[in-house]
Amino acid sequence: MKDLIKQYLDQGISRRSLISGLSAAGVSAVAAKAMAQSLAPFASPAKAAEAQGAMRPVTGRGGDLYVQQLKSAGVEYVFFNPSTGDAPIFDAMVDEPSIHLIKGVQEGAVTAMADGYARLSGKPGVVIVANVGLPNAMTQMVNTFKDRIPMLVTVAAFGQEQLGEEGPQDYDFQEYSLSPITKWRWTALTAAGIPETTRRALKFATTPPCGPVFIAIPDNELRTEATAMIMDQSLFTVSMKIRPDQDDIKKAARMLIEARNPLLTVGDEITLCNGEKEVMELAELLGLPVAGQAEFGTWSKPFPTRSSLYLGPMLRNMQYPGSIDVHLNIGSRYAEVATKGAKLISMRQDPTSLARVTPVDLAMVADVKLGTADLVAAIKSMAPVDRLRRIAADRKERTAAYTRQVGALRQGIAKSLHNGSPIHLERLAFELESELEKDTIFVTDCDSGKSMDPLMSFGGDDKTYISTGPNILGWGVAAGFGAKLARPDQPVVTILGDGSMMFGGPQPLWSMSRYQAPVTVIVFNNKSYNNERNRIWTFSGGEQFKLGRDMTCYNGNPDVDFAKAAVAFGVEGETVSDPDKIKGALARAKRANIDGRPYLLDVDIQRDGIGAGSTYYPEYSIADQRTRKV
Amino acid sequence: MRTPILSACALAATLVASLPAAAQQQQTPPLPTGEGRDVVAQACTLCHALNTVLQLRQGADGWRSIVDYMVLHGAQLTRPQADQAVEYLATNFGPGVNVPQPRTQVTLPDGTGKDLVAVNCVICHGLDRIAAARRTPSDWQSVLARMQFLGAPVSNNDKNTIAAYLDANFGAK
Repeated sequence: MKDLIKQYLDQGISRRSLISGLSAAGVSAVAAKAMAQSLAPFASPAKAAEAQGAMRPVTGRGGDLYVQQLKSAGVEYVFFNPSTGDAPIFDAMVDEPSIHLIKGVQEGAVTAMADGYARLSGKPGVVIVANVGLPNAMTQMVNTFKDRIPMLVTVAAFGQEQLGEEGPQDYDFQEYSLSPITKWRWTALTAAGIPETTRRALKFATTPPCGPVFIAIPDNELRTEATAMIMDQSLFTVSMKIRPDQDDIKKAARMLIEARNPLLTVGDEITLCNGEKEVMELAELLGLPVAGQAEFGTWSKPFPTRSSLYLGPMLRNMQYPGSIDVHLNIGSRYAEVATKGAKLISMRQDPTSLARVTPVDLAMVADVKLGTADLVAAIKSMAPVDRLRRIAADRKERTAAYTRQVGALRQGIAKSLHNGSPIHLERLAFELESELEKDTIFVTDCDSGKSMDPLMSFGGDDKTYISTGPNILGWGVAAGFGAKLARPDQPVVTILGDGSMMFGGPQPLWSMSRYQAPVTVIVFNNKSYNNERNRIWTFSGGEQFKLGRDMTCYNGNPDVDFAKAAVAFGVEGETVSDPDKIKGALARAKRANIDGRPYLLDVDIQRDGIGAGSTYYPEYSIADQRTRKV
Repeated sequence: MRTPILSACALAATLVASLPAAAQQQQTPPLPTGEGRDVVAQACTLCHALNTVLQLRQGADGWRSIVDYMVLHGAQLTRPQADQAVEYLATNFGPGVNVPQPRTQVTLPDGTGKDLVAVNCVICHGLDRIAAARRTPSDWQSVLARMQFLGAPVSNNDKNTIAAYLDANFGAK
């Protein structure tokens, strides 16, 4: 049968001959026709593509075919934690120097490393984990899915002859458990089908709106020898650089030119489409005040936060600019909100969440970089330069006056907290803003630490900011590793609270040490889920608040020494308790990074907000329950 | 351990996404009239209801720390508005002003420091908050330092006396 297919793909036999030959080999007529149909797209161009090196038949075990297809997709790194079943994949990499193996020591860390890599490289993160450890990976896959990051997750499933037998590590319907957090999921049913399944998975992962995909390959198929065509992934790449309807663009341009008091909101799709420059041009052209996404739901800073037009996060009723009449939303899922008295224009890359919740007056699906460029061009064509200048000048002046005032207030607050001990986050932000290089990639897995954001500069010519929209903790250190892998020539600083560090922090230090990843890890250690306590007490005002009993959020006792923990993983570290010593510690971290080594700072941070003084937690001693001292 | 924080994150995200609606749904007691009332009403309710805030009693430093915290988390206030909000809150929700009733009445045991507790703590909250948790000596010190900052009119000497009393009568084993 293999020879028949090969002959057909090589145009040695006709479609009719293929079907009759397959039937003679025992394949049913329906299956033979289906096979011929599925092979048809490759039969005609096969020779030409093969001549160009874009297609080539490969014979080998399923593991070989998988690796060769990854290679044809340009995959450089595979993030993994091994299992027995996936050994044929790693056997295939023994003599495959073009793909580097990056090992993580827990599946969540592996996934977050690949996620950080994908966010900074624009390429899919490729993950192989044990099928029994897949649920560990799934936690971090939620971040990947919600933020539309391309990723391929593969497991070696149990052999088909064992499936459904409820083996000790097997569970039924594994792939369905990933339904809510993957774009696509599939089981490769034959060894020969592995390359096609892999290509299809990568196509789904990388076609915007991107996201994680999952494939399971039964381990018997990874061991089975077969012949299959390995094809260049570019033959399956679909451009989604779509321009919006030009009539809609004209409508939007007219509404913006005539707007009395417009507002522009910006979101992560601008980052995904590399549209920062175009959005800045649009904002400048009309003097549009710009609001970003709120603390939750955003993972990037798509507009320079230093700009005098940047207001901060979008609020439902913004005191400035006040009552707006036109709200233009570009690329933000959560800033797409209705405002009383305002027309809402929303330009989005992702049609599934566009106008999903909020009524939108003018909805446009587009690559937001191209769409914004079209909008700029339309505005310029519809109004004379002088008119546009007049429109922009007044708004720019008013907005700049407001942002100057707010900036001064924030800096004043930070200054008033300069010398506190334990150290205030605001002082840490001041030192980071002062000491970090402008091309630093700032990876943040913070909750409480988000109060540092408005005191620092991101986007445009300033630091690159990456985080996660869902804020599912345990991502930061691993993602920092992935970021450094993607951008080895830029400084990478990853910052997270003690809560996040305990979720997922130590394991990636092992990878940082092994692969010599010069990343500075900063743990702001306030021994608390500080923001969580503030939200619980502020929003609900329940019994914990009324009685001052923090039942859940205090993380002290034991007080974890993260610097010592880092040393155990082969990473140098130090504790910083004196605000005046932050600068020196950052310098030592920078020196270690220059020398090619990771470095960890465990910074003693003050809790803030409601209930900050409490170190109470509900005590319980198992030792005290004993009736025998054993 | 992972599940609770995930749930909490999800809760927080939900709250942030739907705060104004949630804020409106919760029954918030009316704010007293006075300069700064509208600033507080507008700036705070964009993100959360007021009923929790209104149960707090704090001095100006305490309220300023809260207002500053909110500014750094996105509250849209200018310096004059922030100052006005702090003054309004400290005036209308400061120590000794219409202190919320305790949920349960607590009788303090006799001992040195009892009078200091009875006089100073109740200007902001009921004694039930004191009796609600057994705390370690260092926790009581930490809480008392925080109370001083928030506006409790207690000298350092008195603070130590109070700490000894609380440790003796409400200390963790």
